[in-house]
Amino acid sequence: MAPRSIWNGTLSFGLVRVPIKLFSAIEPKGIGFREVHVKDDSPLQHRRICKADGNEVERDEIAKGYEVSDGEFLLLDPEEIKAAGGDRGKTIEIEEFVDVTDIDPFMFNKTYYMGVRDHAEPYAVVAEALLQSGKAGIGRFTFHNREYLVAVRAHEGRLALHTLRFADEIVAGEDFELVAKKGKAPTNKEVGMARKLISGLTEEFDPGEFQDEYRAAVMDLIERKAEGKKAPKKRRKKAKKTDDLSDALEKSLAAQGT
Amino acid sequence: MPRPLWKGTVSFGLVSVPVELWSAIRDQTIRFREVHVTDGSPVRHVKYCAAEGKPVDPSEVGRAYEVEKGKLIRITDEELEDLEPEKTQTIEIESFVPREEVDPIRFDHPYYMVPGNDSVGTLRAYKLLVEAMTEGDLLALGTFVMRSREYLAAIRVRDGALALSTMHFPAEIRPPDAVPGPEEQADAEAVKDAVAIVEELSTDWEPDSYQDQYRARLKKVIDSKRKGKKVKAPTAKEEKPTAAPDLMAALKETLANSKRRRRKPRDLTLLSKDQLYELASERGLKGRSSMTKQQLIKALKK
Repeated sequence: MAPRSIWNGTLSFGLVRVPIKLFSAIEPKGIGFREVHVKDDSPLQHRRICKADGNEVERDEIAKGYEVSDGEFLLLDPEEIKAAGGDRGKTIEIEEFVDVTDIDPFMFNKTYYMGVRDHAEPYAVVAEALLQSGKAGIGRFTFHNREYLVAVRAHEGRLALHTLRFADEIVAGEDFELVAKKGKAPTNKEVGMARKLISGLTEEFDPGEFQDEYRAAVMDLIERKAEGKKAPKKRRKKAKKTDDLSDALEKSLAAQGT
Repeated sequence: MPRPLWKGTVSFGLVSVPVELWSAIRDQTIRFREVHVTDGSPVRHVKYCAAEGKPVDPSEVGRAYEVEKGKLIRITDEELEDLEPEKTQTIEIESFVPREEVDPIRFDHPYYMVPGNDSVGTLRAYKLLVEAMTEGDLLALGTFVMRSREYLAAIRVRDGALALSTMHFPAEIRPPDAVPGPEEQADAEAVKDAVAIVEELSTDWEPDSYQDQYRARLKKVIDSKRKGKKVKAPTAKEEKPTAAPDLMAALKETLANSKRRRRKPRDLTLLSKDQLYELASERGLKGRSSMTKQQLIKALKK
């Protein structure tokens, strides 16, 4: 089944224009639970209540408010919020190109696929050029009145668009001040053993290996309960714990057979 | 106060380290509240039981799955925890893979994994993991359960700490060929020009050089509204007609332009004073230390 596009527009750099359609790349497979009242198992409704008069508020009586001081709100209408979205319109403008592998994994937010719209030729040329150069185009894109920083790159014969986080949205590892924490450093021998253990466990990435087993178990639990059966119970294994780091490493290496 | 989102152990062979997960996101979003327009009072969200006809305390909220219309099956937190008791407490590292083999599409939320306590043994084992993983650009893979969902995790070292990215399961990633792609191969000469443009416009990845202009503009909108000014949305640029683009001509001209032009000047007004000062130092502008923000902008524009 062909997915539905969520946005139509143009990818551009310089004078080159690529008409594209945007599709989401991720289909979340969460389990849609409903909230119920534990006393009577009846489904719960979400209501909006005015803090001042305690009455339910209809949707058309609600505006977005920015809290300027405690309890005092500045109301913004949709037109004003739209003003912050910028005047980019339906264009994703690429400003420059960077090596894809230089972008830290923490920067990637959501991913979309670009599909061909009307003209396939410019799409094919840009996708091939990004593939050959290993680069991502960095640009800006306005979606639902909000501007995003994006990276566009080649991915399996298509163009993929990632929204990126801004650097000031990421906490630095140094903030946890781990270096300052006391504690004896591991010995070179221990580090050596750990590296040996790692190389024994290093393999090619095979995504197919990983399935959401837990989701399957939850669905199974739901079915059993629907049939009036009891929930299965797994026994907790006792953790094999050892406080001696060297001993744990030696035993792990022995188990690995290296 | 921020809190750890998960507490447990990470295990690697027989070595296990008590750890906590903290979100690596520092939320910078400008937050709005829902406000009742008639009296300017904020709106509260309540969960309401229609059967009883009254609001329900959060402690009385449970979850249920609708197996068929009107038939709800209650599932308790304990039942969910008992399904995979180990995975709710342990991230077991199953394998290590080269980072370049993992496509960025897979990455979801960023976390830091920090020592779960300050005992000597914990810190030593944590340091061992950091030390051992610093070499080689590897990701450690494992699965764990957090807030009644299973996650695939990729762990690596970032700024001296263990960084964990949750990843989408393969079943959640749509195959790219589900969306329309070009059916014919691209013209080799056009690709050559496009690659040349890409190389010409290439730069180092410097995440700090990108500012959230949306956030900056939204602040401006709020400020001018507070001063009583009217704010109007800009009219979006019309999309240029794409009826019959001459791709080769566009590529040739863009290539010529990109060779000629230096990088586009940035919008200086979006930079902080410190950033402006840094730029001024790079250019060796005289008298920069006594300049105001506006004077710096003016001097840099010259």
